[in-house]
Amino acid sequence: MASTPALPFHFRSSLVLAARQFPRNRAATVGFVILLAICLAAAFAPWVAPYDPIQIKLSMKLKPPSLEHLMGTDHFGRDIFSRMLYGGRTSLSVGLLVVGFAFILGVPLGLASGYFGGKVDNFMMRLVDAFLTFPPLLLAVALVGLLGPDIQNVMLALGLVQAPILARMVRGSTLAVREDVYVTAARALGASPVRIVLSHLLRNMVSPIVVQLTVVFSAAVVAEASLSFLGFGTQPPEPSWGRDMSEARRFLSDAPWMFMAPTSIIAVCVLSINFMGDGLRDALDPRAWRTRRSVGTDA
Amino acid sequence: MWSYLGRRLIQVPLVLLVVSLMTFLITRATPGDPVQIMLGMQTSPEAATAMRKEFNLDRPVYEQYGLWIAKVVTGDLGRSMRLNDRVTSLIAERLPISLQLAAAGMLFALLVSIPLGVIAALRRNSWIDYLCTGYTVLGFAVPNFGLALILIYVFSIQLDWLPITGIGSSEAIAGGPWKHYSPFIIPAVALGTLQTAMLTRLLRSSMIDILSQDYMRTARAKGLLPWNIVVVHALKNAMIPFVTMAAIQFGYMIGVQVTIEYIFAVPGMGSAVLNAVVNRDFPVIQGFTLVIAVFFLLTNIAADMLYALLDPRIRY
Amino acid sequence: MSLLQVRNLRTRFATDRGTVNAVNGVSFDLAEGEILGLVGESGSGKSVTALSIMRLVPEPPGHITADSLSFDGRELLALSEAQMREERGSSMAMVFQDPMRSLNPVLTIGRQILEVLHRHQKLDGAAAKRRAIELLETVGIPLAETRLKAYPHQFSGGMRQRVMIAIALSCNPRLLIADEATTALDVTIQAQIIDLVKRLTRDRGTSVIWISHDLGVVAGLCDRVNVMYAGNIVESGPIRELFHRPSHGYTLGLMGSTPRLDGTGGRRLTPIEGMPPSLIDPIPLCPFLPRCRVSVAACQERRPERREFGAGHWATCLADLAS
Repeated sequence: MASTPALPFHFRSSLVLAARQFPRNRAATVGFVILLAICLAAAFAPWVAPYDPIQIKLSMKLKPPSLEHLMGTDHFGRDIFSRMLYGGRTSLSVGLLVVGFAFILGVPLGLASGYFGGKVDNFMMRLVDAFLTFPPLLLAVALVGLLGPDIQNVMLALGLVQAPILARMVRGSTLAVREDVYVTAARALGASPVRIVLSHLLRNMVSPIVVQLTVVFSAAVVAEASLSFLGFGTQPPEPSWGRDMSEARRFLSDAPWMFMAPTSIIAVCVLSINFMGDGLRDALDPRAWRTRRSVGTDA
Repeated sequence: MWSYLGRRLIQVPLVLLVVSLMTFLITRATPGDPVQIMLGMQTSPEAATAMRKEFNLDRPVYEQYGLWIAKVVTGDLGRSMRLNDRVTSLIAERLPISLQLAAAGMLFALLVSIPLGVIAALRRNSWIDYLCTGYTVLGFAVPNFGLALILIYVFSIQLDWLPITGIGSSEAIAGGPWKHYSPFIIPAVALGTLQTAMLTRLLRSSMIDILSQDYMRTARAKGLLPWNIVVVHALKNAMIPFVTMAAIQFGYMIGVQVTIEYIFAVPGMGSAVLNAVVNRDFPVIQGFTLVIAVFFLLTNIAADMLYALLDPRIRY
Repeated sequence: MSLLQVRNLRTRFATDRGTVNAVNGVSFDLAEGEILGLVGESGSGKSVTALSIMRLVPEPPGHITADSLSFDGRELLALSEAQMREERGSSMAMVFQDPMRSLNPVLTIGRQILEVLHRHQKLDGAAAKRRAIELLETVGIPLAETRLKAYPHQFSGGMRQRVMIAIALSCNPRLLIADEATTALDVTIQAQIIDLVKRLTRDRGTSVIWISHDLGVVAGLCDRVNVMYAGNIVESGPIRELFHRPSHGYTLGLMGSTPRLDGTGGRRLTPIEGMPPSLIDPIPLCPFLPRCRVSVAACQERRPERREFGAGHWATCLADLAS
């Protein structure tokens, strides 16, 4: 019997329903729009940015925000707004790549661990435990510090930090779903293991995985900034949110806008991602719709 | 419960073994030669060989690991390659400072989150509830080092109320309680804000859940006084997840301190690891990660124990 | 003289969809030592009536009004919250439906009994403990002294309800309200609890309001029954009268849907069709009309008034069911 791991039809329809549900959450929609705007602005930085982010112009140094320089200038006279746009390219692409990396590594590992159980599971979970015993930031610092401070290593390190968290979560859901009656039923009907895993398990885990990925995304953006702040990441003069904050420390009293700009941008990014995550969680969880509706009728 | 504690404690060495093996592999597999970094480029080959021999770096990795573990069991974590100090004495110097900072951060988190979470739950949709929501949302979003810079700018530079340096310095310790503890305030707030946000949100939602429970109605039907109902009947239930979360978060705080220690030049565990990583000081990296892992594991076990202690329904 | 006098009690809840009139003009009296049944479907307003008497309805969103709600000669609605707290648990006590969830899971049984004694009787230390043990023994909990240190989860459902009764009776209340107190329990346990309440309250002359959706339970326990529907009392009478001559279409329906424990009659159980009306919009006619099997032509024209059917037996029904 050929096992085509086709997704059941209601899987797609539940995604459609979720897509309809999402825009009803105002905070989530606003978060999504802001995040999209920041991503686009960063992606098209060469066209959007008013100045060269690297070129030094000492005559313009430490100028407060004005119409000319929306977020002011730094100690080399560089336009902070332009630096933020270019810095966003690194931060956000690191965030996205870490999400991808954690997904590719974490989900299969978690699925395998939860589905097969036994020794495989035991071994992998001890490994995950060991990873989780390290404070994540310190682990990333150690990895990046030892591998050498460059952006690929930052991505690798953050991915390695986040993947075990995702793997453990996926394993947990797999275990729960595996024991559920309907998987037994599917097995009794002669469905192949691959089919069971892909259709039944994945369908039940889409919501937690997607939500966890938004958490990974915001954690990665903050972690990248932290690493750059500590000097392990983007090297000067390349613009970077974290690195620029570190530089701004020397000009705290003279140029507070220098640290306020990256701080606020990171905060806005994380805020948008979190709101989006909350919205996705509600949208992907059919129980949440039902409760909201029943609250309405009961009242 | 004691047998459960025993079983948990037995697992600790096992996890530590995996942790130490991982650190060992990561340090040995990554580029960068510690000897070269320590001695500089123009060193004589003899000196380099001598140092390699001293720190067993000339042996195969599994032998290095075996020798190291054998010593760790006796309580000897080796010597720093750079500072020529014993790793244990470095830890003895830095761990108390990190613990104090973490404790200060947690203290701040508890002082804010308990009243804020409770009042927000009792007065839902009031201004204090909105304040609570705004605070938690921002606490999650602003990274601690950004918050630290904001606090320094406002309270140290503009208002000149609080110092920003002096944690662990001898003159601060000699200068009385205010001199001793005031340098902790800004770092502790910056460090503890994320935990405050988490704990406030947790406490608010569990309080809201508990306030709608049937036994709260029973408590009111008994004619008990309002403070008694909130503190004894509601808070005692809400404290179960709260205390567990606080203990786990306390375990994390040593690790997330790195950025705060870096900004405020605090001689703690995080900055030590940071320097050791830059200098490839293998014994220090190994020793410190081990201690941090132990601390993390113990706080986690403590969290589970507290949970069982507070919730009569749980018996291990 | 009656202990409790309720006149035109109305309890409303403000919601997003409008004001819900959960209790819509309820009036009755409760004599000293009397056991009164309050019967109706869920949503008929019987629990809200009880909570309103105790003033345990959360305000807002709830709002209680009455021409009179007097207990032992005092107007309850005129009391301050602090004065009300002195009455609750002391002169008026309540036992709730779900004994699994009505006791605080993290406090010992002893603590939950003792706090009432501390609060209302200023009993402390050994005296309070003696009294608590005595109470547990009265409600039939064996090994009372050791059980004081136990937590609710270590008790069975029936035992927990006994504990709840012990707590309710701890200060010798003059009024006990039991809200579906046996609904969550097995039939045998149910009978034991009912016997217990009957014995303890008869001894002390405590007045009881027994709320249930089960006419059978009420029949074995109460002196008088009020049948509630859609926030109103639709029929009221002495228990025998009401059972022999049900005079409201709804009471008739309820009896038709109640299995007879003695197995007599041999009638088929007939459920009441349909759903209770929404309590948001005003109901101009008899609220039970859409579901009534015995309606007459007049029912379509006016709202029925109270009609007497015997001594203390009345119903708001236009149909003549006696014939």
